[in-house]
Parts: sequence; C-alpha cells; structure tokens
Amino acid sequence: MNKQTLKKPFLLVAGLLVTSGIFAACASNAPSCAGPQSKNLASAINTSQTSLATGCQAHFDRYFDDLLTIAEGDPKPENKRAFSEFLVWSSDQGLLSNRQAEDYYNRYFNVKFMSMKGDYNNCSHTCPNKQRVLFNMERELSDKERGLLKVSLDNAGYNRADQLYQEVELVLEATCTACSAGR
Amino acid sequence: MRNAPQRSQAADQKRVPRRALYYACLALLFIGFAAVATQDALANTPTIRLFPTTVVEDLKQTGNVARDMETGLQEIIGRLDQQQELYQESKCDGADNDSGCQRLARQIGATYLEMLTVMDERLPDMEHTVNNTRRSLEKGLRNELGKKMTPWTLQETLIGGKADNPAAASAPTLRGRSGMRLSERFSQYYQLVATSGAKGDQSLAVLASDIYLDMEETSTLIQRTRQEIARATLMEQLNQSFGIITPEMIEVVGGVKSILFGDLESTALVAGPPPGSVEQAYRSPLEQ
Repeated sequence: MNKQTLKKPFLLVAGLLVTSGIFAACASNAPSCAGPQSKNLASAINTSQTSLATGCQAHFDRYFDDLLTIAEGDPKPENKRAFSEFLVWSSDQGLLSNRQAEDYYNRYFNVKFMSMKGDYNNCSHTCPNKQRVLFNMERELSDKERGLLKVSLDNAGYNRADQLYQEVELVLEATCTACSAGR
Repeated sequence: MRNAPQRSQAADQKRVPRRALYYACLALLFIGFAAVATQDALANTPTIRLFPTTVVEDLKQTGNVARDMETGLQEIIGRLDQQQELYQESKCDGADNDSGCQRLARQIGATYLEMLTVMDERLPDMEHTVNNTRRSLEKGLRNELGKKMTPWTLQETLIGGKADNPAAASAPTLRGRSGMRLSERFSQYYQLVATSGAKGDQSLAVLASDIYLDMEETSTLIQRTRQEIARATLMEQLNQSFGIITPEMIEVVGGVKSILFGDLESTALVAGPPPGSVEQAYRSPLEQ
C-alpha cells in the first residue's frame, strides 16, 4: 500500500517532466522570425532569406517592410536590383506567386500603377469605381515615393508617377463625364 | 612577272570602288532596317482619334466668335472704366442726391446695359460653337478612351511606353488657365490640336480631356450668363430711372473683364520636375 501511494506522485512528477521536456523541445525548434538586425541591405536580405526559408514565410510582409526601411538608410539606384532579385528568389522558393512578386515590385519601383488594372473597358469598369480607383492610386503613390524616391533615389521616376496620377485623374474625369453623357 | 605589280595595282583600283560599294550596300541595309524598325514601332503604337477635323474647325470657329465678342466689348468696358473713374474722382460715392452724380450714374448704367446687350447678341453663337466642340470631343473620349481601352491600356497610352523618358514628363497639364484672353485660349487650343500630329497619344488624351472639361464649364457658364443677362437688364432698366450704381453692376463688369481679358494677377507658373538622373535605369524582369 505504502509503495503504491509513493508511486503515484512520482509518476505524476515524471509525467510533468516529460511533458515540459516535449514543450521545451518544440519551443526551441520554432523559428523566432525576428527581423533583420543588420543595417546593410545585402546582409539583411541574406538574413531574411534564411528566416523565410525556415518557416517564417507567414511574415513576408513584415520582412519586406523591414528591408525597405533598411534600404531607406542607404538609398541608391542599385537597391532596385536588390529588391528585384529578392522578389524573384521569393517567387522561385514558392513564397510568392509570380503575380504577387510582380505586384510587389511594380507597386514600389515602377512608374505605372498596379491599382489601375482591369480587363474591362473604362466606361463599364473604371468609371463606376472612379473614387476608389483614385484613392488606391494615391496610396500606391505613397509606396512609390518610398520605393522610387527614398530607396532608389529615382527622382525622375517618382515625378513621372506623380504626373501620371494627375493625368489619370484629369483624363478619368473627362472620360467618365463623356461615358455618363452617352447613356 | 613585270606585269605582276601592274596587275595587283589594277586589282587594288578595282577593289577600292568595290569596297565603297560594300559600304554603300551596308549603309543602305542599315537605313532600310532602321526604317522598317521605326515603322514597325509606330505601327505597334495604338493610335487614338480624338481630334477629327470637325473639332479643329469648331475650335477655330469658337476662337473667332470669342474674338468678335472681345472686340465688341473692349471699347464698352474701356468706357465703363473711364466713367467709373470719373464717378469716384467726383466723390459721388454716397452723394446720391447730387444731380451731376445722378447723371453720371445714369451714363454708367446705360453703358452697362450696352455691355449686356452685346453679350446677349454674341453669346448664342458662342454657345453653339462651344457645344459643337464639346459634343465632338465627348464622342471621341467615350469611344476611344472609355470603350476601347482598359484602365491598363489607358495608363500605357498616357505614359507613352516611355516611363523612363524625362522628355515625356515635360508636358504640362493645362487645367485652370486664367490670366488669358478667351480668344487667345481657344487660339492656343486650336494651335495645339492643329499641330497634334507631331505629339504622342499621351499628350492628345490629356489635351482632349482638358479641352472637353473646359468646354463643359464654359457651356454651363454661358447658359447661366444668358439667364442672368435677362434679369440684370431688367434690373438696370429699373435703376436707370433712379440713377443708382449697384455693387452687383461693378461685380459683373469685373467678372466679364476677368473672363474675357484674363486676370493677370493669378497667372500660375507650371513647375518643372527637379533634375533627376538621366542614367540608364535598371529594368527588373518583374517590371510590367
């Protein structure tokens, strides 16, 4: 009887120890997914690639944002290439689809607006949603300011994007007025 | 053997024109290739027909009508200015019972009526030509940009396939141009449209949109002005019997002056982009 009463707490403690051991093992295997610490873009990209390839793919947006912040600290035209290569790598690794990679790159580093895309004509597709399209373009323009101006020092590119936004605003106003007059 | 050097000299002499012929052929080939490539590039660029000849003619006509109205009004407005100056110099403000001042006020009122009459006579012509231009542009914009293009192709047309070309960024937007005579504005529009063959589609789309929106506003303004002229004429005919200058009169004259002859104080300068790098930009394989 005495032996049995002694055995029970012993088994309980042993069970607890085993369970905590399992949890500890799991915790040590889970990636920390911490952001890149280096202020050098190339090494920050390397760190991010390692993290993304080892289970942190769910945090892609945050890594991309961190890399942009790091690149803002050392802006230069070559940064465009670095981001392009990083996105191509992400696509090759299956972290992003090819379209997602294109969307990321063009949103930040291209003059054209990804928020002004569509397969239908302007009268039927763009005009009914004109305000939303222009609002999205305005938000994209601020991303282009970051990518083109603050990261890549591409002043001409950013100015062209800004001018394109204004031209689209004017042309859409006229076109949509003409479309609604024809109904 | 003695003939050998002579033969080689003759061969050299033959070779020189032959070499020149080779170079000429190469040059011709190159020119031909360049011409074909240029034609091909032009053929691939979508052309948009926003300015048929009717629009060009309508713009010219509107400019002429505006010039006629300006000429008719210039002399009257000049007279009104002089009369108002005389009224102020004679310290007539507040001296409503003075007979001399009443006479001056009646003269001003009569000139004001004259101005309204000239406007009333000229505005229907103006309205007609403006509406013609507006309708032609409306049709072009609806079909060419509204129905034939997707948002992406519209964007590509505006950018002209040369996103990195700094020259493309130099075309200013024309909206809100004050400080310019009405006839001069139409004359500029006419010049821009008439010489538009040398421009790309991107500036044509912006130009057509700009003129169309301007015509929309002008048309609405003319409609409202015509309604107001009838009311203002009646009011002034009543005022004539009392010899009163109303603040409304002065305001209307000021408005007509700024519309017809421009408001020089508000001339806006179009800022150019800051000097950017003209180096060959990096082109990503992801770029669209």
